[in-house]
Amino acid sequence: MQTVLPVVYAALPLVLILIFWALGRHGLGQDNRFLNLFVILQTALFLVATTWAFAAFKLPLGFLHGDYFYIDSLSLYEILVTSMVFLLAAVYSRGYVSSLVEAGELDGSILRLFYGFFCLLEMVTVLAFASNNLALLWIFAELSTLFSSALIVTLKARENIVAALKYVFVASTAMLFSFIGIIILFAVSKTAINGGSLNWTSLFDAAHNMDPRLFFLAFSFLFLGFAAKAGVAPFHTWVPTAYIRAPSAVAVVSGTVLNLGLYAVLRLYAIGYAAGAGINLRLFLFIFGLFSIAVAGFSMLKRTNTKKIIAFSGVESAGLLLIAFGLASATALYWALFYVLGYSLVKSLLFFSAGIFHRQYQSNKYFAARQALKLQPLASWGLILGSAAAAGTPLFPIFLAKWKILAVLGEVSAGMLGATLFFLLPAVIGLGYYFIRLFRQEPGGEIKAFRTPLSMKLPIIVCLTSILLLGLWVPGGLDNTLGRIVASLGF
Amino acid sequence: MNWNTAVYIVMNPLFALVLSPLVLGLIKTVKARIQGRPGPPVLQQYYQLRKLFHKEIVYSEDSSFIVRLGPYLGIAFMLTASLFVPMVFIPQTGWFGNIILFFYLMITAKFFMVLGGLDAGSTFGGMGSSREMTVSSIIEPVTIMSCAALAFVLKTTSIPEMFRTLLAGSIFSYPTLILVGISLFIILIVESARVPVDNPETHLELTMIHEAMILEQSGPKLALVELASGVRQTVLMALLINVTFPWGLAGLAGCASLLLAAVTMAVKMLILAATVGLFESLLAKIRFFRLPDFFMIALFLSFITIVFELLR
Amino acid sequence: MMNTGITGDLIEVLFVLILGTAAFVITQRALRSLFTLYAIQSVILAAIAVVLFAEHRTVSLLFIALLTLVIKGFVIPAFLRRTLVVLPTKRDIEFSYLTPASSILLSAVLLFIVYTSFSNVAEVLFSDRLFFLGGVIGVSLALMGMMVIFSRKKVVSKIVGYLTMENGVLLFGLFIAEMPFIIEVLIVIDLFMLIVLSTIMAFGIDSSIEAFHKKLTQLGMRFED
Repeated sequence: MQTVLPVVYAALPLVLILIFWALGRHGLGQDNRFLNLFVILQTALFLVATTWAFAAFKLPLGFLHGDYFYIDSLSLYEILVTSMVFLLAAVYSRGYVSSLVEAGELDGSILRLFYGFFCLLEMVTVLAFASNNLALLWIFAELSTLFSSALIVTLKARENIVAALKYVFVASTAMLFSFIGIIILFAVSKTAINGGSLNWTSLFDAAHNMDPRLFFLAFSFLFLGFAAKAGVAPFHTWVPTAYIRAPSAVAVVSGTVLNLGLYAVLRLYAIGYAAGAGINLRLFLFIFGLFSIAVAGFSMLKRTNTKKIIAFSGVESAGLLLIAFGLASATALYWALFYVLGYSLVKSLLFFSAGIFHRQYQSNKYFAARQALKLQPLASWGLILGSAAAAGTPLFPIFLAKWKILAVLGEVSAGMLGATLFFLLPAVIGLGYYFIRLFRQEPGGEIKAFRTPLSMKLPIIVCLTSILLLGLWVPGGLDNTLGRIVASLGF
Repeated sequence: MNWNTAVYIVMNPLFALVLSPLVLGLIKTVKARIQGRPGPPVLQQYYQLRKLFHKEIVYSEDSSFIVRLGPYLGIAFMLTASLFVPMVFIPQTGWFGNIILFFYLMITAKFFMVLGGLDAGSTFGGMGSSREMTVSSIIEPVTIMSCAALAFVLKTTSIPEMFRTLLAGSIFSYPTLILVGISLFIILIVESARVPVDNPETHLELTMIHEAMILEQSGPKLALVELASGVRQTVLMALLINVTFPWGLAGLAGCASLLLAAVTMAVKMLILAATVGLFESLLAKIRFFRLPDFFMIALFLSFITIVFELLR
Repeated sequence: MMNTGITGDLIEVLFVLILGTAAFVITQRALRSLFTLYAIQSVILAAIAVVLFAEHRTVSLLFIALLTLVIKGFVIPAFLRRTLVVLPTKRDIEFSYLTPASSILLSAVLLFIVYTSFSNVAEVLFSDRLFFLGGVIGVSLALMGMMVIFSRKKVVSKIVGYLTMENGVLLFGLFIAEMPFIIEVLIVIDLFMLIVLSTIMAFGIDSSIEAFHKKLTQLGMRFED
């Protein structure tokens, strides 16, 4: 029964690509609603398969003797978050892409390419989470850069090419350093494992035999690449540029790529912790985490672009997560993983709403948004509640996670807690100030309302409800899973 | 002073003096052929020198003793410097050969030339001198770094000792000498005022550096200045040749072996001259303010040599 | 192990040549020469792999050499040259942040830093001096490629910088640990896709956006028209 997973995760997208290719450039190949149906089908199947795996299979699962693919609770949890986000984005793009095509921003002939890359991106992201081999993960991460940058250039604007190229160059350059790290890690693993290995499982089991100093060297190289993918400062420069230019649906799914970077850092940190390099690594993560929060916070103070401020909020949360990982405490990690889920939903909500605003005003600038509450009530409330959640207002899931992580941080080091709080403050002020400005624009003259299709509203409603629910109550299954993940990582 | 050293002291500068006009002539011919011109005869430089030696000397009214004295000092320093680079055989004496002293002798010769350019107070002379000094001061760290690299690789600061070590080994024992060779080639191009840096053929205000400085010289004095430049080029070429391809250099002084070594050296020198001509034809002159980029390659390569040797 | 003997000497000569090409990649302005330099560098790299094969008799080294020679020595440079046909400018004269002179100086300093930071762990990671040398030069080459990416403004030359980086990583890999061969192949494929995509995008920047989208629809491989 386990074979269902590879069939869905790997074979299904490839079959869809073939279908898209066979459809040809004309007729149905240009029909957004028709093509979108396939994509919704794929993303829905991904989600169903993942949920089913959670319910029915005994984890961990190994494929190809467990050398190359291996799914444990952490992988499956990340896959679940990913496929959820992708499903929402697929539904959203049904209306969104139609509107882009009507406005002439996206060429009808390029639709197949757009959806093809969309499916492939989901495939490589999920496979990256399912990889047991670090080098395999590296390759899938590279491919995810490739496909998401391809998704960015599908929009008809020169700035999109510039943004995509910036993304490709920053991410791939950093990833090459990661590869140096992989080589070093492989050499280090030879001292602990006969013949060497890059498998998470073997590395984790043999971690206590590795020299912590050498592991730290490998980690610092590996970190460069995955930090760039996660949008950690100072490698975050591509994040704002790419997110401004990316269509909203693409920006949402690129969020899962950020999760991928953090996931790899977490795995490596767990190995390093087991190898006894915990103290050095903690300092390392704290420095980068604090720096990211500071950079993001101060960058958010004077923004004029909705998508840019959301992008910087992503950098901020990456920083916070690094600090949470660095704490190496079961509680902090539990809430960090919870944060990943909550924040993915919040960010999707924000981007979905921002996308509707962009369709309404043809601009992402705050001063373009006039009569927002009247014209687009749902998107406006999405932005208001989403930004409140991102800032960490009580009753939202992020508040809970932030609170617990900071509480653990306070136990470890009061100074660090003070610094983190100090740098988190500008981010909160920035978010609040931005959206207050946005919603207090002069009404101006009559503006024709953009008729938001149901498919664009639905994901927002889903995000909103799940955020509100998660803020009040952590479901038993989720609690269970998070507990198991934390235990499996050895903290 | 023994017999060996005496022969060396006479022969080495003489060899440089005699060969340098030929080298200059050959470079000119190669360049002309590549440009599709017949060009001057290869021996033209000798005729030129003979003509100049028979001319009268004219001095500017504003000039002082510097212009009068400069050419003598220039050629004297150059000939002394030429003693430091064995071209035909390696002498059995430790009198000459410190590589740092060698480069400083060359710089001193240049210093008097620059003073001569300034002395007459003409605009061109001043401009040429200022450019020459700018280029010199930029190439200086490169030169020092290359010296250091050579000394580091071969574990001695004496040029004859270096050649002796090299004769005993092979390029495989000193792979970094490829890099030092490139550095020395760049230094050669700069010091002999060749194309990417200077254009030896024009008297155009915009491009010339070296030629502008010697505009005030005439007659036999001009001949001496030209000869000094020729010797400078020959000596540097000899250094480059012996560092990268020392075989053929005579270890001991004997009549037949000496003759053979002289011929080999002359042939190698002419091949290098042709290469320089080719190199000049392939490149366009670099803008003055971009020159540092060109020099930096030489600096980098010398630096790499040192690091590489450290690692070995 | 192989500090003595002709292979060690030969590899050192090849290292020296690699560093030479790297210096010229940083300073070269003419795009065509830049591609040629990259091709030469890749061929030298393949030669290093062959020499290592002669010493160690590991067949995967021979495959790596072959793969490097074909893909990086010929296919990618040829592909880049083809794009040059449509590019309006053939020279890259704009630099940001660093002039070539300062990047050269910086790379010399970086080489030294890499050397000192790796010498702490040399005994464990590298089997002898020569391998240590290869590792240091590999990382330095990667850093030099990174500087090319930073300092060049033209996307095509940035691509060459990326490729140089990749060569550095490969060199590092050759001298530190034998990776499973399948991974090397996957990486080359990944590299190739990345280059194709970014070249198409680079082409897009320099052409009209409509023409670019037409190319993208055809999966843009034909540049002649």
